[in-house]
Amino acid sequence: MNFYLKYFIVAIGLFAFSGFFALFGVYAERKVSAFIQDRLGPTETGKFGLLQTLADVIKLLIKEPIIPAAADKLLFMMAPAIIFVAVYMGFAAIPWAGGLMPANLNLGLYYIFAILSVETLGILMAGWGSNNKYSILGAMRSAAQIISYEIPAGFAIISVVMIAQTLNLQTISTQQGILSAEHSKFLGIWDVSTNGGILSWNIFRAPHLIVAFIIYFIASLAESNRAPFDIPEAESELVAGFHTEFTGMRFAFVFLAEYSMMFLVSMIAVVLFLGAWNTPLPNIGVVNLADWTTGGAWGILWTVVKVLVLVGVQIWIRWTVPRFRVDQLMNLCWKVLTPLAFICMLVSGVWRLWVM
Amino acid sequence: MTMVQAMFYLMGFITLASGLFIAISKNLVRSVFMFFVTLMALAGLYVLALADFIAITQIVVYVGGILVLIVFAFMLSGRETLANLQQQQSKFIRIKKLPAILLAVLFFIVMINVLFKTNFDGLPWIQQAIAQKNTIGTNDAMIGNIGVGLMTHYLLPFEAISILLMMALVGAAHISRKEKGI
Repeated sequence: MNFYLKYFIVAIGLFAFSGFFALFGVYAERKVSAFIQDRLGPTETGKFGLLQTLADVIKLLIKEPIIPAAADKLLFMMAPAIIFVAVYMGFAAIPWAGGLMPANLNLGLYYIFAILSVETLGILMAGWGSNNKYSILGAMRSAAQIISYEIPAGFAIISVVMIAQTLNLQTISTQQGILSAEHSKFLGIWDVSTNGGILSWNIFRAPHLIVAFIIYFIASLAESNRAPFDIPEAESELVAGFHTEFTGMRFAFVFLAEYSMMFLVSMIAVVLFLGAWNTPLPNIGVVNLADWTTGGAWGILWTVVKVLVLVGVQIWIRWTVPRFRVDQLMNLCWKVLTPLAFICMLVSGVWRLWVM
Repeated sequence: MTMVQAMFYLMGFITLASGLFIAISKNLVRSVFMFFVTLMALAGLYVLALADFIAITQIVVYVGGILVLIVFAFMLSGRETLANLQQQQSKFIRIKKLPAILLAVLFFIVMINVLFKTNFDGLPWIQQAIAQKNTIGTNDAMIGNIGVGLMTHYLLPFEAISILLMMALVGAAHISRKEKGI
């Protein structure tokens, strides 16, 4: 029974973490947006407005759950749960530190890719269930966008997999540091197996992965419906897109899913491209910075720091770049990102065969 | 009953019950979303059979692709068309349905026959595989095998499917492009 108990504890812990992160994320988003737009943001509740999101959550919890009369009630009620669970299940296969990982799957990366596509269905369900023109339009835009951007994201991921030769995320993480069993070369010329640090991250082991990383990052913005790709919930034209009709608890779940998705896609980017839980500090001569800052709690620290930096960039982009139009969005996906991702994949094959 | 058996029966029950709901339900959109449940339960059954790659592929292809496309078609077709589609005759057995019923019953008989006539523990190819230790465990990585298999043994079918998909893509692009001068 202890065996199963462990899994329950891990699952509850991850749920608590995603809730906590959503609280923190909304606060950070509001403060950053305020800074960018030269405002103050939340200041009233608690010191520096720190309790503002907590108050918001309490408000959402005690709000009356309204179901529109014309809505398909079952689908309407199920949709937020499915949207959130799809994202939440993705956390199951991601390593936090060496040896610390909820489920060590051989096909971890593929599993995450699959489970994230379930979110599309949840969004469509929300759009259809609401029985509202704005919701349906938002849901359709969202589905079209997510399906399109899965292709460049998928090929960017495949180019990493071709370098790493495995789909197990823990193995991919281990390869990018001093604990790696195989030789890793910085830019394919300088053997840095003993130096580790930032030099042996995937984006420097194979420099074309920098392009793949940027492609993946753009696509991940689109997949989590963040600006500049937030046409599914474009306030100026669609009210709030697929979650127009949701109130109270259900709206909170949609929001929770969005912030968990931000964290999850950043975490995948970190694991695949930015060295996962490996330290950024290399060994230089007698100063063994990498050896000192590897293992144990350091892993969790590095993962969280890197992920939070990426989440910060996502927030920063959201408040600086204007929203794309639908045709611009599709042009960017099919005419720029997809061919580039294909080239990355080809280069990966060549790199693996002849350089590494 | 072990955990695995319990999981098998649970998944099997969900698959069958949701499948029945899809067939019986008059609400087309709901049955499409119920199909999602069937697919997830089926993926669970695949995992129990140690075919995890197939399980995940099924979710990617069916849930992420085909189901979304079906729902898309519903959304583009509008509610009036759907309402017309949903006005089916309520009689379960009608003379028009006779061929379908006949086919279904015959196929069912064949399946039942196969099920009872086969001794699943004594199949020669299973015995042979066990004797040669040609089996997979729960922690084996199968993806390498699949890749090598696709590129060597099954290269021709693989390429044929690629060409088929390519044709579908070209066709879709042709249909959706703007007509000139009309």
